[in-house]
Amino acid sequence: MQNVTIKSRAACLLLLISLLFVGMDGNGQEQDERAELLEQQKVLRAKIETLRHEQDFLIFEKTLYATNSKYLIIDLGTKKGQLKYKNRVLKDFRFTASANGAVDAFKPGTLTLTKKIEDPGKRHVLIFGKSLVIQWKRPAGSPYAANIPLLSLSNRDFQPIFYAVEEGAKAYIMR
Amino acid sequence: MRTIKNIILVILLLSCCVMTPSPVWAGEATALVTIDALREQTHAMEQEAAVLEEENRGLMKMLKEMEDDDIYLVVDTESNRLTMRQRNRIILTAVVGTGSRQFVEEETGRNWYFETPTGSLTVLGKERNPVWIRPDWSYVEENMPVPPENDPDRIVRGVLGKYALILGNGYKIHGTKYTELLGTHFTHGCISVGDKDLEKLYRSVKIGTKVYIY
Repeated sequence: MQNVTIKSRAACLLLLISLLFVGMDGNGQEQDERAELLEQQKVLRAKIETLRHEQDFLIFEKTLYATNSKYLIIDLGTKKGQLKYKNRVLKDFRFTASANGAVDAFKPGTLTLTKKIEDPGKRHVLIFGKSLVIQWKRPAGSPYAANIPLLSLSNRDFQPIFYAVEEGAKAYIMR
Repeated sequence: MRTIKNIILVILLLSCCVMTPSPVWAGEATALVTIDALREQTHAMEQEAAVLEEENRGLMKMLKEMEDDDIYLVVDTESNRLTMRQRNRIILTAVVGTGSRQFVEEETGRNWYFETPTGSLTVLGKERNPVWIRPDWSYVEENMPVPPENDPDRIVRGVLGKYALILGNGYKIHGTKYTELLGTHFTHGCISVGDKDLEKLYRSVKIGTKVYIY
C-alpha cells in the first residue's frame, strides 16, 4: 500500500515536472513568434509606406489628367524627368542634382511652381517655394538656391520647359 | 505528507509562472505589448496593406483606361522640334520651323504677330498637294497692294510641299521650300517640316490626332 502511494506520488511529480518543461517550451515558442511578428511588422511598415507613395503618385496623375495644366515628373533616382500634359509625355529630359545634400533629404511628393524668373541673360529660373530650384546648367551655381535643392538642365531642355509651365504648375518628385 | 504537498504547490506555482505569456516592452513605447496585441497589430497592418493594394489597383486601372494607343504629335516651339509619340515611345523626331515672332503692321493700322499657337490642337484634315491662298499679311509684308478676297492671284501652288495637316484657324503642318531655315523661327505661324518627315507624318497621322504645341 505504501509502495502504491509512493509510486503515485512519483507519477504526479513527473507529470508536474513535464508540465513545467512544456511551459518552458511554450515560452520559447512565444519568443520566436514575437520575433517573427516584429519582423513581419517591419516588412509591412515598409510595404505600407511604398504603397502610400504609389497611391500619392497615382492620385496626382489622376488629378492632373482632369486639369488643363502641364506638369513635371522628376525622378531623383534616375535623374530623369518628364514634361507631361494629361498623362501624355511632351518631353523627356535629364538633369543633375546639387551636391549640397539637400536633394538626398527630399521626400516624394507634390511641389508647386511659385515663381518663374525671366533673366535678361536668358538665365531663367523655376522656383518651387523653398523646396526646389530648377535652372539651366551653369558653373557659377545659383543665387536662388543657397540651401535649397537645385536641379540643373541643359539649356536646350530647360528653355522649352521654362516657357511650357505656368506659375502654379505642379511637379511630382519621385525617388 | 505536508512537505510533499508544499513541494507540489511550489512546482505548480512555478510552472504557472513559466506558462503564462510574459508581457514585453515594445521598443521605446511605454505600453506593454502582449503577444495577442502584437498579433492584432500585425493583422491590422496586413489589412491596411491589402486595402492600399486594392485601391492602387483601382487607380491604376482607371489611369490605364484613360490612356490610349493613339499616335500624338508634340511641337516644341522653343527648340523647333516636332515629335510623334505613341504611349511613351518616340516614333519620329523632326526639325521644324515655327512662327517668327515678328510683328507686321499695315498703314491702315491692321497688324499681325506671327506666332505658332500653343495648346492642345487636333488634326482637322489632311491635304495632298496643298494650295496656299495668300493672306493679306503676305502682301503687306512685301509692300504690295492687297487684292480682293477671291482674287485668283492669291492662289499659289507648290510652296507648301506635297502634304499638309490642317490644324484650324489657318494653321497647318506643311512642307517648305526653305529647308535651310528648318530649326529656326521663320514661319508665319504654321509648322514647316522637311519633305521626308512630312511624308511620314502624313502617312501616320489620322484626322482627330492630337497635336500638343508648347
